[in-house]
Amino acid sequence: MHQNGFTDDHLDMLRELMNIAMGNATASIADLLEAFGKMHIPQIMISDMEGLDGYIQQSIPKDQRNYVTKQLFGGEFSGEFLFVISEESAIHLGHHLYDVDQPSDGDILDAVIELTNILSATMISRLTEELHTKVQFFVPSTEVVDGNALISQEDIINYHRIIIISTQMEFQHQNINGQIFILTKDGMIGSLKDLIDRKLEELYA
Amino acid sequence: MKILVVDDSKLARMFLIKTLRELEPSAKVLEAENGLEAVELFKVEKPDAVFLDLTMPVMDGYEALNEIIKMDTKAQVVIVSADIQAQAQSTVLASGAKMMVPKPINSEKMLSVLQQLSI
Repeated sequence: MHQNGFTDDHLDMLRELMNIAMGNATASIADLLEAFGKMHIPQIMISDMEGLDGYIQQSIPKDQRNYVTKQLFGGEFSGEFLFVISEESAIHLGHHLYDVDQPSDGDILDAVIELTNILSATMISRLTEELHTKVQFFVPSTEVVDGNALISQEDIINYHRIIIISTQMEFQHQNINGQIFILTKDGMIGSLKDLIDRKLEELYA
Repeated sequence: MKILVVDDSKLARMFLIKTLRELEPSAKVLEAENGLEAVELFKVEKPDAVFLDLTMPVMDGYEALNEIIKMDTKAQVVIVSADIQAQAQSTVLASGAKMMVPKPINSEKMLSVLQQLSI
């Protein structure tokens, strides 16, 4: 038994559902980029809020400049979708999507927003479809920050525990890589566990 | 009928086996949790068909598929994967997989797969 009543079965189910969601998202992005994306095994971690900062720092170098898009979603399963793409990858993305050697800052920002919209909508929709529930999306925000400033005190001050679901988007030949984090906090962890329990009941029926 | 089910997720294997047993209750099912285990089991057990995931630790499904086809060019390998990119499908079909089915596999898809396999 893990924290918050999660068992190995809960984590395995969540990882598998995330894998299916990421498969759908990768296919949509592959169509957009006319490229092939490598799939990675999703990681799930239950942590306190201090652990979140450490976990993100393991994946993203402190001194790397990043475009960070945050989007809240709400419903029976609610949380925050976080997409982090390095400035270098974002430039490659702008170059690839706009077919120009030196995309402008505006082109790059547009490209990142477009990519994030597709990623978040496809992943969260597929994940919630598998969990037999629905969510509402809120307006996303994008900013450019250093790796050591991805999570602000404002983000973590009101929470105690968090589930981090993370995976990687990798289009190797285009040099476009990004990290995806889905964060679910406090009360919603119990709600997510209930949704997974229902899914597990289908399996053991 | 002997079937090898390969997936790093225990629950994904259970879902697939449950769906398979609804249609083929007498099937003997073997399980592997990565490509390397699958290749070793295939060598010893010679299953009639293999349901193989692609994204796995230790040895992924692409490499396992190549190893299995090297051992038996007529091996009936069905790729069951969350990766639904057209290029993933063309790669595995070119490597010798009989077909590719997107996850999650349900009874309807399983019936269609079993009808298409020569087992």
